Amino acid sequence: MRELDFGYMLELFPILLRYLPLTLEMAGAGMVLALVLACLLAVIRVLKLPGLNALTLLFISFFRGTPLLVQLFLFYYGLPQLLAFLTQINGVTATIMGLTLHFSAYMAESIRAAIVGVDRSQTEAALSIGMTNAQLMRRIVLPQATRIAVPTLMNYFIDMIKATSLAFTLGVTELMGATQKEAAGSFLYFEAFITVAILYWGIVELLAWAQRRLESRLGEAYRR
Amino acid sequence: MLRTIALALALAGLGTAQAQETPLRVGMSGGYFPFTFVKQDELQGFEVDVMEAVGKTLDIEVTFVTANFSGLFGMLGSGRIDTIANQITITEARQQQYAFTEPYVYDGAQVVVRQGNESIEGVEDLRGKSVAVNLGSNYEQLLRELPYADEIDIRTYESNIEQDTALGRVDAFVMDRVSASQVIQETPLPLALAGQPFSEIRNALPFRDTEEGRELRDRVDNALETLREDGTLTSISERWFGTDITRP
Repeated sequence: MRELDFGYMLELFPILLRYLPLTLEMAGAGMVLALVLACLLAVIRVLKLPGLNALTLLFISFFRGTPLLVQLFLFYYGLPQLLAFLTQINGVTATIMGLTLHFSAYMAESIRAAIVGVDRSQTEAALSIGMTNAQLMRRIVLPQATRIAVPTLMNYFIDMIKATSLAFTLGVTELMGATQKEAAGSFLYFEAFITVAILYWGIVELLAWAQRRLESRLGEAYRR
Repeated sequence: MLRTIALALALAGLGTAQAQETPLRVGMSGGYFPFTFVKQDELQGFEVDVMEAVGKTLDIEVTFVTANFSGLFGMLGSGRIDTIANQITITEARQQQYAFTEPYVYDGAQVVVRQGNESIEGVEDLRGKSVAVNLGSNYEQLLRELPYADEIDIRTYESNIEQDTALGRVDAFVMDRVSASQVIQETPLPLALAGQPFSEIRNALPFRDTEEGRELRDRVDNALETLREDGTLTSISERWFGTDITRP
């Protein structure tokens, strides 16, 4: 067994850090957009809006039923063969769009579960004191649903951060792409990939810590 | 979001560069030493030098787009890059899809001997000799197809064929010429190439097979011709491989 080259790892760390903002921006933008879309889809599903409900089911079925990499290749390399103007979309935007569509399908279901999971008596009580449907949603159901949804949504955000590592197949040099190329220049594959693994791990741990704080804040009203 | 897009444009080098002509967009993996690789965040290698020389000759800007190898042909097909500089071997199937330049790298099976061994000057001198090949490579097959194959003592190795040839345990080994050249360049082993490669592999730049693509291909072809004639290709090759891989 050869010795580990710690010097190389220390050298590589600041270089890889330069690509962290892009990774986080893609995941962050993807998460915000996916949340908006997922809420929309979830509400359609809960209210069973005619027509839209069937479309939503098809959407969720497709984006949950095919691998993210297939979707990215399909939209980035496949569709432009049919619709030439789609080549105007760059790799970063395409990655964000792919993450948004893919993860919103999962998140819609967990948001729907959270809404349905709010105890029925809460709805009945709100209606009995004369709240409108909109007031009921905004004041009673959604705040409680948020608390239920946070752990699973955080799960998806963590998954999304790691999914950005697929962007190098679309020509976006993010954290993983930068690591692959550096490893090709040094042949120190173990050192390069353990360094990037530690980086991803560190970010996810930070997020997990933030999640614990968020959950304890949201749970204040439930503490006895 | 806007920042992300702005950053993406800047990173892709598609920003507001005011070149009088659209730049030549060259795709590569960035992961194939020493052709295209990154050290200290800087893209470099044989392919990078060749394409920059092409750009200088044509007086156009060259932008490099790196992507996983699996994405490169998709990028070419969807018009996001103009060509791929990543040791693309010319095959019949690819020729039906793409317009290739003339080859700028010639690779092939190469006989390598211990330095100073003058009894072997090519594949035709392997009669009665012991020759090492790597297990799983197609060089064993190539040797067995020679008309005098039964006179060659072919030995398959898991590894270390270079070392055993340098030590004199076998008379020669066979691998692809570019890798062999690199071994000679990068390691202190006393080895030398014996003669010309046999069973040739040719690498070239693929362009889209459209009017526009073929036109660009012709211009790049002219530039490559100039670089071949003035010795630039040779000197780039010498720098990375210690030998000229740009000629047959």
